[in-house]
Amino acid sequence: MTGITRVSKSNGDAPQARPQNRKAMDWSWLGLAPFFLFAIIFLFLPSVSIFFRSFQTRAGDFTFENIIALFTVRDIANAYKTSLQISLITAVGGALFGFMLAYAVVLGGLPRGVRTFMTTFSGVASNFAGVPLAFAFIATMGNAGLVTRWIESIFNISTREMGISIYNLWGLSIVYMYFQFPLMVLIMAPALDGLRREWREACENLGGNSYHYWRYVAFPILLPSILGTMILLFGNAFGAYATAYAFSGSFINLVTILIGAQIQGDVLYNPGLGNALALGMILIMALCMAGYAWMQRRAARWIR
Amino acid sequence: MKKFNIWPWIILLIGMVYFFLPLIATFEFSLKMIKDRYTFEAYRVAFTDSKFFLNFGYSVLWAVLTMICSTLLVVPTAYWVHWKMPNARPYVEFVTLMPFVVPAVTLTYGLLSLYGSPPIVLIGSPILLIAGYIVLSLPYMFRAVDTGLRAIDVRTLTEAALSLGAGWGTILTQVIFPNLRVAILSGIFLTFAIVMGEFTFASLLSWPAFGPYLEEIGSMRAYTPQALSVVSFMLTWISIGLLQLIGRGRGQEQVAGAH
Amino acid sequence: MAFLEINNVSKKFGTTEAVSDFNLHVEKGELVSFLGPSGCGKTTTLRMVAGFEVPTGGRIVMDGRDITDLPPNQRDVGMVFQSYALFPNMTVAGNIGFGLKVMKKPAEEINQRVSEMLELINMPKYAERFPYQLSGGQQQRVALARALALRPEMLLLDEPLSALDAKIRVSLRAEIRSIQQKLGITAIYVTHDQEEALSLSDRVVVMNTGRMEQVGTPFEIYNFPTTSFVANFVGTLNTAEVEVTDPAGGLVGMDGVQFVSSDEHVKSRRKGDKVRISIRPERFSFVTEGEKENVVDCRIENITFLGSVVRIQMTIGNQKFNMDTFNRPSLALPEIGDQRQVTCSSKAVLVLKD
Repeated sequence: MTGITRVSKSNGDAPQARPQNRKAMDWSWLGLAPFFLFAIIFLFLPSVSIFFRSFQTRAGDFTFENIIALFTVRDIANAYKTSLQISLITAVGGALFGFMLAYAVVLGGLPRGVRTFMTTFSGVASNFAGVPLAFAFIATMGNAGLVTRWIESIFNISTREMGISIYNLWGLSIVYMYFQFPLMVLIMAPALDGLRREWREACENLGGNSYHYWRYVAFPILLPSILGTMILLFGNAFGAYATAYAFSGSFINLVTILIGAQIQGDVLYNPGLGNALALGMILIMALCMAGYAWMQRRAARWIR
Repeated sequence: MKKFNIWPWIILLIGMVYFFLPLIATFEFSLKMIKDRYTFEAYRVAFTDSKFFLNFGYSVLWAVLTMICSTLLVVPTAYWVHWKMPNARPYVEFVTLMPFVVPAVTLTYGLLSLYGSPPIVLIGSPILLIAGYIVLSLPYMFRAVDTGLRAIDVRTLTEAALSLGAGWGTILTQVIFPNLRVAILSGIFLTFAIVMGEFTFASLLSWPAFGPYLEEIGSMRAYTPQALSVVSFMLTWISIGLLQLIGRGRGQEQVAGAH
Repeated sequence: MAFLEINNVSKKFGTTEAVSDFNLHVEKGELVSFLGPSGCGKTTTLRMVAGFEVPTGGRIVMDGRDITDLPPNQRDVGMVFQSYALFPNMTVAGNIGFGLKVMKKPAEEINQRVSEMLELINMPKYAERFPYQLSGGQQQRVALARALALRPEMLLLDEPLSALDAKIRVSLRAEIRSIQQKLGITAIYVTHDQEEALSLSDRVVVMNTGRMEQVGTPFEIYNFPTTSFVANFVGTLNTAEVEVTDPAGGLVGMDGVQFVSSDEHVKSRRKGDKVRISIRPERFSFVTEGEKENVVDCRIENITFLGSVVRIQMTIGNQKFNMDTFNRPSLALPEIGDQRQVTCSSKAVLVLKD
């Protein structure tokens, strides 16, 4: 409740501090009160609760054990490792392919309609996630999937007998890529638009060629956007739950899957540990957002 | 000077294959319920399941509630930020970006541990579910409305309306809302698409919805889940398509949904 | 032989002809402006010289070398863009030294040239600033330095001042001119601002809808426009359609008012021909004493102060004319509605080609 008291306190303080000031300041804050009240009740207090309960034993005493357990309990450490791996793979992969696609659409000399289509489709694909997406990929590359059958009939093999399974890190990465790289396209397309034709012309005029242009001008200008989006993709994959759950159940041990299991039935036999797990997740996501914001600011610095 | 370059086409082709193959595969799979024939049997079965309508109906209900609450929460706030409190913008923006920091699973965990046991118990009502959905919708709603407000110069409009003797109710309903219709609609469409396909909140908070239903029949049956996946994809496609249509040329980008 | 020869150059974009049959010889050290409204083909012509557009027809020869099909990075011309086009991720020094860096020159040489250039544009202390930390005028000076750093044989300026404030425009155009003269570099300057073109060029090319209307010194362009387009575009001008009444005597008339013109073109016309004449507003004056030529009656319609000049709108016959007169304190202004007599020299009455 600290947040609420702080807001109402600042309302009460203002007229005393500057009594001669215009009265508008006093109730201006009230206009935003519902919004911040909502945020406090349903966003901040739960987060704060996670934070404090991470340092509590079952009996409510202060402890560091839960935090230490994050690194020492094998299942938990593994879950973090797998989550980080898949986030890294799909962030880098999604950024690479998404950048190439955005480049092809914006600067590759493709017909104009392609771009409109691509942005619309990217909007759909980046929002088409969760259960249906998982099912779509099971129908594509699962045991009886379309692509699986094609490969089996072309090479005359049986993937099942060869012990090939898609329900692992790489399989899930392919699924995640479906919503990862469209996001990159959506963010990079406007950034590529921001490259002005005159820069390339000025570079050519000064004796430079395409290599010089990309090496010294375009790439350095785009780099903060590329890195920023990559961080965003990383967080995007790290927080994903529904897609992974519907795709492989609890086959793949991710942090989100573990938290979900903990909610459904205290699998860790320790609520404090569950809170610590969630806290670790929030910290990583917060780092991602901070990194993203920092990169965004860098990207905006040059172009005003 | 323009030379024809093959590489953009190759990349585009790979992208298209990656985009469409899972959709084609799902559609093809959904048609194979009867052996050796392509039929729409799976769709018939899916749509005759009474539980489908129940769950789908619930999802529509949640979506409508979320759309209403989110609009009521975001539009006045965004308007107020533009008109009276531009200094508060970074704080409001920060809050709207919170769903990226606190993913759905984590938020559910926090909500349940805080409001799942006394002194405050909220799990008997769908308040937590709707709150979760509102949180999910915040970035899209705020961004859409914010862009809309930016385009209409709120300050001048409001001052003009005030000088003509309009009251606050009149200003909001006659001046601000009509000018923001497109912006609000685009936010609402995206919210609808997100809530209809959402799984995490509904499943972990144990409320009936389309997402958990789909997941549940996915583990029990073949073909019908694929049929419903196709339906779900079309829903998303229609929502985003409508969004693009009404928001044409407004340069609105969406950032990540609920995965 | 001229330093730059543009011979019969034309450029088509699809079916629209942006530039047609453009011919111009530019001497070494000369500054030539292309003047015209937007879409007249002046920028396209400049971009063909720079190598960003390939002509559909004709040749461009620079210093005896045919450069028509040469890529822009092998042309040895420096270009200044309307939007500055500084690389936002590089400092001022980085921008100026970019061309030398591409040529893989040693660092000391680059540094030395950069400081030399900063000296030239009077910004020696700005080497480590980024473009976004500079004003528009400063950015354009840096762009000029960048274009000159490679010591090109030719400098191309594409509306370099049109994005700047009026005051900076005037001071910077003088600076550009003095740097150009100091270096003795051949330059082409594209602008839509007639004052700019007239004030800094050796010669002006007036262009309209892809064609050259007139080429000449600023003095010729201003005082002796040969087409009604030039007459209208350069400066404020009175034009009127008149009938030739006496070709040999140079007499033309309209609405019962007679003008006498010493323009040769009247003599080649026949009696009864319709022609357009032009008279600059500043060539009119109120009749004081002794004037005999072109003394006409007018009615004062409106008076506008333009700072150093007062513009008086008047009706002669049934046509509206402007008269500009210096704003002196001693000036006795007429009242609106007054009937007065004005006069102008027969040399001021020009007959236009079209």
